[in-house]
Amino acid sequence: MAKFEVMVGNKAVAYAAKLARVKYVSAFPITPQTTIVQYLADMIANGELDADYVNMEGELSCQSSAMTAATTVRSFTATSGPGLLYMHHPMHMTTWARLPLVMAVVHRSTKGMQPDQMDTMSQRDTGWLMIECQNSQELLDTGIMSFKIAEDERVRLPTIFMGDGYILSYTSEPVELPAQEEVDAFLPPYKRPYPMFPEEAKEAMALMSQMWNPFVDPQNVWKQQQEAAMNAKTVIREVNAEFEKWFGRSYGNGLVEEYKCEGVEAVLVAMGTIASTAKTAIDQLQRDGRKVGLVAIKSFKPFPDDDFQRIGADVKAMGVIDRNVSTGTLGGITFTELRHSLYDLDERPMTLNFHAGMRGKEVRVEDIKRMAEKTLKAARGEKVTPLVEWA
Amino acid sequence: MEIRFHGRGGQGAVTGVRILATALFYDGKFTQGIPMYGTERRGAPVVSFLRVGDERINERDLVHEPDMVVVLDPLLGRTVPITEGLKKGGLVLINHPKGGKETGLGGKFKVATVDATSIALEVIGRPITNTAILGAFAKVTGMVTLEAIEKAISEQWSGRVADMNVRAVRKAYEMVSEPVDVSGVKPVDVVKPVPGDRDVSSWRLFKPEMDKGKCIGCRRCYILCPEVAISMVDNKADINYRYCKGCGICVEECPVKAIEFVQETI
Amino acid sequence: MSKPVPLSKLDEKEFIVPANSACQGCAGSIVARIVSKVIGEDMVRQEVACCGPAFGNITQPVFYGEVFEGAGAMMTGFARAFNRLGRDDIRVTGIIGDGGTTDIGFQGLSASAERNEDMLWVCYDNEAYMNTGGQRSSATTKFAATTTTPVGEFSRGKKERKKPLPILVGVHRVPYMATASVAYPEDFIGKLQYAKPVKGFRFIQVSAPCPTGWNYDPRYSVKVAKEMVLSGLWPLYEVVEGALRITYKPKELKPVKDVLRSQGRFRHITDEEVDEIQGEVDEFWGRLQEKDGGPLF
Ligand SMILES: Cc1ncc(C[n+]2csc(CCOP(=O)(O)OP(=O)(O)O)c2C)c(N)n1
Ligand code: SF4
Ligand code: SF4
Repeated sequence: MAKFEVMVGNKAVAYAAKLARVKYVSAFPITPQTTIVQYLADMIANGELDADYVNMEGELSCQSSAMTAATTVRSFTATSGPGLLYMHHPMHMTTWARLPLVMAVVHRSTKGMQPDQMDTMSQRDTGWLMIECQNSQELLDTGIMSFKIAEDERVRLPTIFMGDGYILSYTSEPVELPAQEEVDAFLPPYKRPYPMFPEEAKEAMALMSQMWNPFVDPQNVWKQQQEAAMNAKTVIREVNAEFEKWFGRSYGNGLVEEYKCEGVEAVLVAMGTIASTAKTAIDQLQRDGRKVGLVAIKSFKPFPDDDFQRIGADVKAMGVIDRNVSTGTLGGITFTELRHSLYDLDERPMTLNFHAGMRGKEVRVEDIKRMAEKTLKAARGEKVTPLVEWA
Repeated sequence: MEIRFHGRGGQGAVTGVRILATALFYDGKFTQGIPMYGTERRGAPVVSFLRVGDERINERDLVHEPDMVVVLDPLLGRTVPITEGLKKGGLVLINHPKGGKETGLGGKFKVATVDATSIALEVIGRPITNTAILGAFAKVTGMVTLEAIEKAISEQWSGRVADMNVRAVRKAYEMVSEPVDVSGVKPVDVVKPVPGDRDVSSWRLFKPEMDKGKCIGCRRCYILCPEVAISMVDNKADINYRYCKGCGICVEECPVKAIEFVQETI
Repeated sequence: MSKPVPLSKLDEKEFIVPANSACQGCAGSIVARIVSKVIGEDMVRQEVACCGPAFGNITQPVFYGEVFEGAGAMMTGFARAFNRLGRDDIRVTGIIGDGGTTDIGFQGLSASAERNEDMLWVCYDNEAYMNTGGQRSSATTKFAATTTTPVGEFSRGKKERKKPLPILVGVHRVPYMATASVAYPEDFIGKLQYAKPVKGFRFIQVSAPCPTGWNYDPRYSVKVAKEMVLSGLWPLYEVVEGALRITYKPKELKPVKDVLRSQGRFRHITDEEVDEIQGEVDEFWGRLQEKDGGPLF
């Protein structure tokens, strides 16, 4: 039976791994991820979870060992900010070997302790799927879904599920814990995805040669990875819908969550806890008669471009809030990707961008309301400057 | 309803807020307990927030204008502006041995006091006030039942530890004073530390007192004080209390026992 | 060979701003203060992620590199670059935690030692990752409860023994390697003074108990460190160009039991577990005494 517990976001993440019955956990502490691996250590010490838990000597090793373990058993690791940067090299290897490893990332800036998305954005092109969460319940649910998405035959890509450090990791709120039997039914046992036993030498060799063979098109690896990521769009929707059937909760269509978007002239586009706070801002604005809604990006990779084309065709302006920056390119990273999605529309909405919340700078309801007003102004056809703003 | 908690690293403010968030949830409320984390270590002032609502709370910024402030440490108000942003007509619940008008707080709000430190020392044996204060909270706000707090505590701890904390809660529930209006009281000035100012005297629970007559000038305390709060004046050790955190290392290490450890008074 | 320095011989000059943001009774703070005092004017300090920045309240230049894994490499860059401009008067000094030394930083430590880079690496050893809340490191003593080696029905604390780091550095045949303890400041200062003018790779691992992570009253920080030396848990010795010398010899080792039991992190251990640690301590101490005055290997 499901039960409720008031817990911090990091505990919800640990529960996701536990309920998925992971068999290998590689751990290395880093604020604000640390308590995830501490909770898992406690669960193992108390006999609640049966898994190999290895305190590694650094994140390079966390990622590398979780990768090889994932050839054989369901594996999990978690990190933040600099730790994720230190994993970068084996992360590319994990997608190369197409191993469905799942990792939790608790966002921490790459320049300082406080949260922003520069850690995961710096891994944008490793081929990992990346799914963002707004609250602790969503972390738990998304964690469980991530295993199912990653392990789907059509996908077989490692997956990050992520949430903002501090704001989620240490905040306690009520979370509904699904029953183990139901999770077991939802998430079937791990199928060994990669032959490495001596008796499988032939298959192992064949795989290796696919990866290294100089006579096949060298671009194939990337091409197949791209196809898998595109397949993931369908798989994520399916898994989200199936989760709803089992547990009564789902998150938009799995890729984006549209919040109060009926009949609006403009939308804000945001991710993670900024999207969560933006809901309060939208509630207040709509109460005052403003026609503005919110689109929360849940799946950043694969990027939900079909959804944005659909939404973009219906509104006059989109204000994108980015807790990140791509230095040297005007605007934030979701802004750039969103504009790319809209390019093929016959009639494109006006798009604005706000850099906000970087290095943990607080984003308040008032801040978001101001961004919404500016976006509405653009929707009315008025001139707004600057196009990209440091909020 | 938005509440701000003030405490010190190591006093358990974070755990206290989580227990309260759990108890309120048992009483049918949706809660969000937000600790403000930095690199604070044991002894440094810390802040946490609690939001209480009827459904999931989406807002995820910090609380800037609380309806209520809860203070775990009687001395914090000297250096931290604990009533900043408090709504007019709001409530302060403070761990303090004296009455609401004698806490040094004044303004357009009410103050309730409870001597949580004494209760904790008596019942738990350590000056950990995070649970006792919850009993007082239940009484002055009427927002949460004692049963719910006790249930939440029994999930956090078990056995003797849970019992002691439950007793501290009940005792504080009995002992907390009625909130009194302090609009006529002139507040004591808060001496906010300026950046770079290293005054750590508020960390101290005990104070090392030097008997210069006994000091033999061996310099052991001088080289071992982690804060470099001790200098040698005329070959006698001299403590600068601005820099002393009251760790007690000098007290332990003095070979001639020239330093005594005395409890700080409010 | 180092010689203990009487505290009366210390000059008054400080390179530290009094009071820091570390915990009450932090022994790591004592290490940082003594190092900056003894190395003095010529010091440039390298930090990586650890509690170090909490006691980085010094007046010498500090480079805080968040690259936790990179202490050895970052110090190499400084040392080489300063040297290139003829500034070999500058003492590149690292004040690095045990994690940044024996775990994530070990590759860089060994590599810098092998290249004999001109640096002084001081490791303050609080036996865990304290900055992140007390997780085990390879320097944690066996059976200690840490936040990633909790005690429970299926766990007795840390499973593995403490990595013998000083010996490992010693076998790199570096110009200087020593152990030290905050409880023996005269010995520690003597070692720093000896190491200061030496060219090449110098390493000192200093026992620096942590009241927060080891769970004892902050006032006992130095006392705990002292008991560790007196019981042989942390022997004081040095290796100069391959030759080992014990720098402090208690007449008879105290049993480890009391010092272990005085710390919350060992509160759960059984008599058999104490005996196991006692056995290892006795064995190691015996070997050290055999090697004393001769080559390390
Ligand atoms: C690549 C990377 N991984 C993890 C961290 C998080 N982190 C910061 S300090 C620290 C522990 C430091 O331990 P130690 O070196 O023993 O020093 P202490 O904190 O005990 O002083 C960790 C794990 C980081 N900053 N960077
Ligand atoms: S109590 Fe601690 S901080 Fe204060 S003077 Fe003594 S050693 Fe220094
Ligand atoms: S956690 Fe330990 S090592 Fe770190 S500052 Fe506190 S006492 Fe010092």
